[in-house]
Amino acid sequence: MRVGRRPNRTLMLLTVALALTTALGAQTITLPNQKNSVHFAVIGDTGSGSAQQYRIGERLAAARAVFPYDIVLMLGDNIYGGSDARDFADKFEKPYKSLLDGSVKFYASLGNHDNTNERLYKPFNMNGERYYTFKPSNGSVRFFALDSNYMDRAQLAWLDKELANSGSDWKICYFHHPIYSSGKTHGSDLRLRTQLEPLFIKYGVNVVLAGHDHFYERIKPQHGIQYFVSGAGGQLRPGDVRRSDLTEKAFDTGYHFILFEIAGDTLFFQAISDQGQTVDSGAITRLKQT
Amino acid sequence: MRASFAIAPVLIVLVLPAPTRAVQSASVNSDASVLAAFDQRVKAYADLRDKVDHGQAALKETRDPAKIAAAQDVLAARIRTARAGAKPGDIFSPDIQRMFHRLLQPELKGKKGAETKAAIKDEAPGAMTLKVNTRYPEKAPLSTVPPNVLASLPKLPEGLEYRFVSTHLILLDGRANLIVDLIPNAIA
Repeated sequence: MRVGRRPNRTLMLLTVALALTTALGAQTITLPNQKNSVHFAVIGDTGSGSAQQYRIGERLAAARAVFPYDIVLMLGDNIYGGSDARDFADKFEKPYKSLLDGSVKFYASLGNHDNTNERLYKPFNMNGERYYTFKPSNGSVRFFALDSNYMDRAQLAWLDKELANSGSDWKICYFHHPIYSSGKTHGSDLRLRTQLEPLFIKYGVNVVLAGHDHFYERIKPQHGIQYFVSGAGGQLRPGDVRRSDLTEKAFDTGYHFILFEIAGDTLFFQAISDQGQTVDSGAITRLKQT
Repeated sequence: MRASFAIAPVLIVLVLPAPTRAVQSASVNSDASVLAAFDQRVKAYADLRDKVDHGQAALKETRDPAKIAAAQDVLAARIRTARAGAKPGDIFSPDIQRMFHRLLQPELKGKKGAETKAAIKDEAPGAMTLKVNTRYPEKAPLSTVPPNVLASLPKLPEGLEYRFVSTHLILLDGRANLIVDLIPNAIA
């Protein structure tokens, strides 16, 4: 039964991919797309309702047709400028409609422009909490969504306990304010770094994702941890990257999203612009904890 | 190493002349009573909120954002009615305000202080009229409150938050999006 249905579904997805790619222009997924690997997408600072946010939504849908993923991490500022039903519709439900219709689950973290009660909005999958953790059904990876806007003692104690008990090979933390960034407007949040970095190092966090600065930046690994800034899913600050010793790769002339694939001890990533260009890609090998 | 840190404050107290010890002891007792008063006031507020937080005001997980906004509005309206006579200083009494100024001061000095102020000012909400028992503007961003500032201030009941607007510290009910009280120029 399942074998018989597969070709139809594949054909349908390829048709959708072809149609979307034709409409949007070329977009080549270079990730390995291995069987049983964990796939997810990342977007940040999305909730503007701008045409570019919608275009990123279309790009995400086109990418999913050839690189199936069921998880999207949101790095905060999910809904700018209000929190009534129309805001949620125009700045989330419509731009990502095809993904939501396809049962993709979004896992949001809160930014400084978000109403704290967004935690109660079911499609954000926050279970009513400002910070939370979850684990996909396949692969040894655990995600930790933090509220960097309000890093109180309770949250730090919670993170300490959850990281200690994680047991997962891959530990990925994501939140809004970057603790490493070359942004002219915001840059690194040093006070936050003082509190979080020791925990990340102590418990062997592998990857940290943040937004807030409206561009893409991959930071040179710090203490063995790979940091990404991804804050241009719906807002852009052109020319805002002040390339520094931290910068491994940066892109501040267009909107973007990132695709990730975890296969065993390797995490592959590909950052794609709203024009469909790959602006960065690569692989990170997990250092085994001793 | 850890033991030596624990012992150091004790030794300092022991070598102080007697009058200084007495003054310090009085200050500690005074701080403890002010802190106890603050805890009592915020708990009384949280109890009041919890009492009206039911039925249409109860915030629940939902797919419908209109229901979240409606529950938030009902909760805010009920709290405003229950605290109809609320005024600045109801929670942050002058003694508590003085204590908060004192607690915040070390976090605002030197390099650490500069980083702290930068984090608070980063995309801070613009000018707005602050009034106790009114809604925090829906469209305004929330200030980031750096972890060292939160660590220096007394713990709050669930749902209450410290936030900054310009140099003022506000006590915000995040569930109702309501300004509960404020300290003018707390970080001036």
